[in-house]
Amino acid sequence: MSAPLFDAGLFGDRGALVVALAIGGAFGWCLERAGMGSARKLAAQFYLTDLTVFKVMFSAIVTAMLGAFWLGRLGVLDLGRVYVPETYVVPQLMGGVVFGIGFALGGLCPGTSCVAAVTGRGDGFMLVAGMFSGVLVTGLWFRDLQPFYESSARGPFTLPQALHLPYGVVVLMIVAVALAGFQCATWLERRAHRA
Amino acid sequence: MPTERSVVRLLAISAAALAVVAPFVGSPYAAQHASIDVTELARVVAREEDHVTAVELAQWIKERRPDLRVIDVRDPDAFATYHIPTAARLSLDSLVETPFRPSDTIVLYSDGGAHAAQGWTFLRALGYRRVFFLRGGLNEWLEMVISPTLPEHPSESQRAEVENVAALSRYFAGTPKFSVTARLEHAVPTTVRDSASTSAAIIARMRKRGC
Repeated sequence: MSAPLFDAGLFGDRGALVVALAIGGAFGWCLERAGMGSARKLAAQFYLTDLTVFKVMFSAIVTAMLGAFWLGRLGVLDLGRVYVPETYVVPQLMGGVVFGIGFALGGLCPGTSCVAAVTGRGDGFMLVAGMFSGVLVTGLWFRDLQPFYESSARGPFTLPQALHLPYGVVVLMIVAVALAGFQCATWLERRAHRA
Repeated sequence: MPTERSVVRLLAISAAALAVVAPFVGSPYAAQHASIDVTELARVVAREEDHVTAVELAQWIKERRPDLRVIDVRDPDAFATYHIPTAARLSLDSLVETPFRPSDTIVLYSDGGAHAAQGWTFLRALGYRRVFFLRGGLNEWLEMVISPTLPEHPSESQRAEVENVAALSRYFAGTPKFSVTARLEHAVPTTVRDSASTSAAIIARMRKRGC
């Protein structure tokens, strides 16, 4: 049997919800343990004094990427059955800008705001409330927003397809960028602490 | 007892080692071995449930049919020149590696119908049930939706359909023409099949109008 285990019929819809809850809980716990529930710690990233967020998130990306690549190569994971979200260039760029502004102003992103709220932080609660208000407003106005939401559709495509490079080469490039980024981040943090 | 620094260094070295080897071990995607139930496919083809007409596809797009995925299997230049609204481009080899949801309604098209029909066979073999192709391809779309020639004086029974096709054409920035001699076509007109010059002329006309 190869993963995804849901597709392989290992558990049904209810089982999948239980697994999703367990993985979500574990993810939140890891974020909290890494200090991601603190808006001050997250905001420090924008002042280049504490780049924990960058390190944690990029580590997660590299771990997941290497895991997906090698598990696929070893036949444990059927990558062809892993859902790839569709790309909509302009709406997603716009979403990224809104996300970035919200992140810089609030000091938390959607995942970390949930972690902050669970640990009883007021700013976390406010951001979660704002996030769900935004989801509600978007849902109510979706009919008007839909043409923009579905504009510049590129379908489900991955970095190897976009760059016209073999998957393994892209893996190597991203790990190289990550390791160089971690070195730069450590250097920036040391410089900030010396100042 | 290993220090935090040594653990981080070990993890970094492990990641680097796995990444350095990655380009030399080939694709992580499993080879797609699919089987075809030839009898079932033959029945689907005989019942004409393998394809949609351009007008049907236009109606689905206009209605914003849930989970509709329109896939253009032509080359990037042809796609950049013109494509059906909401379509995404995928080459045939990318098509078989793209995971679709079981609930997706997938409509494939090419210039004529051949490549899209091949893609239809691949996806059916991979187990997708709601797959169709545009039998006359983009040429049919241009001829039947963008520049349809409709009867000027349709019979009472055809009036609603003529008005619907004209409205669809205008919705997609097309220009329906009305002619006394025109008939309401349901099948792919033989004049447009594989007619690159016809499609180029229609696209050129649309560009002049600024579409």
